[in-house]
Amino acid sequence: MISDADAFMEARQEWRSIRVNTLKIDRDELMERLQERYEIKEMPWYENGLFIKGENISKNMEYYLGYYHIQEAASMIPPLLLNPEKNEIIIDLCAAPGSKTTQMAMMMENYGIIIANDSNPIRLKALTHNIQRAMATNCIVTNYDGRYMDKTGIKADKILLDAPCTASGKVIKDKKLLERWNYGRIRKMSALQKSLIRAACNLLEEDGILVYSTCSIEPEENEDVIDYAIKKFDMEVEKASLKGIKTREGIKEWDGKEYEWASKAIRIWPQDNSTEGFFICRLRKC
Amino acid sequence: MQIEKVLGRKEKRELESRIEKNYGCKIGLEKYNIFMTKEEKIWLASPSINFSIFDILKRCYRIGIYFGKLKRNNKIKLSMEGAMIVGKKATKNVVFLDIKEAEKFMQGYDVVPGELMEAETHNFVIVKCGSDVIGTGILRDGYVENLVPKARRMVKV
Repeated sequence: MISDADAFMEARQEWRSIRVNTLKIDRDELMERLQERYEIKEMPWYENGLFIKGENISKNMEYYLGYYHIQEAASMIPPLLLNPEKNEIIIDLCAAPGSKTTQMAMMMENYGIIIANDSNPIRLKALTHNIQRAMATNCIVTNYDGRYMDKTGIKADKILLDAPCTASGKVIKDKKLLERWNYGRIRKMSALQKSLIRAACNLLEEDGILVYSTCSIEPEENEDVIDYAIKKFDMEVEKASLKGIKTREGIKEWDGKEYEWASKAIRIWPQDNSTEGFFICRLRKC
Repeated sequence: MQIEKVLGRKEKRELESRIEKNYGCKIGLEKYNIFMTKEEKIWLASPSINFSIFDILKRCYRIGIYFGKLKRNNKIKLSMEGAMIVGKKATKNVVFLDIKEAEKFMQGYDVVPGELMEAETHNFVIVKCGSDVIGTGILRDGYVENLVPKARRMVKV
């Protein structure tokens, strides 16, 4: 799949990443406060993302007050590519624990509506906790099985589907993930992801935008799911690009299948930016 | 989530005056959709949220953020975010803590109050450290009773 597999295996993360909660504090003010105790580096691809080095980043006053959220650097990208606007209805189909939901609320400055859905009642607690902490007043938390949420009849201008996955892109944080690699699980996840993207396509308004992402590197969970949406639900892939981060194109051929559109999707590899691995694709409903 | 009442203009004004009476400041609540659930809990939502959406979304778990709870004698117990909204302008029932006491407070302990701003004993107070609003408590004789919820407490280093 990749020519630099050794670099992939050896990738390490020295810095942690946080997102400034601009609903509570100004970015420069937070930076000034944190710089007294931590090493801080700006995130080239997102102005409200920061890299931080130091002890106890979840045990200080600023964290306690919800001035920032600890969030993986690559996971800040799907909301950026979705680009939610103030007057829109957004559905975050698999929202818990709410990092991307609260990032979108912040981008929308608490206007518009975000329907933050998750099927797991236990994970809903984390989601509501983070929404409260972020002071995100434009969120409605719902508890539908995402695969059937289209039955409600609700329609959205934009949808974020950060699908449940095998999380193989998190190998940079946990090498043991590779020991648990299991093809049966990948197939099972792929089926679930296809059910979710089917519902997401039905939930979209005409001309609406869907951003699909996972933190898995498996083509079965990424390119194959997008290909299914293109062929079954009249979806069109839009070119995704972002400045300040090294990205690679999607995989064009896998397991006898060809994905002609794959150059428009984004893959983020751990060895390129010292982040988790991510797949992100932006689609428009024709 | 069972909404018992959506607050109209008049009820919002009543809530504003309750806040003013308790915390000495006028907070414009017109910009929010406000509703009440059981036990007189008050929630704030963005004005973009039209409540008719709930005719479609039956499995609604939560809307907006928890602001506070109405209490007897015209008092109001604010959530941490409620305190942050009100606390910036509050001139009454405010307690200031030094950084050492503030850290104890954030960890969930009762603390010794520092400077008091028109604070009544046995009433709810907004707790601040410098310009940061760090939560709410009840001012008792010689100490501040901690009301920081367990899930929000700062883990001791």
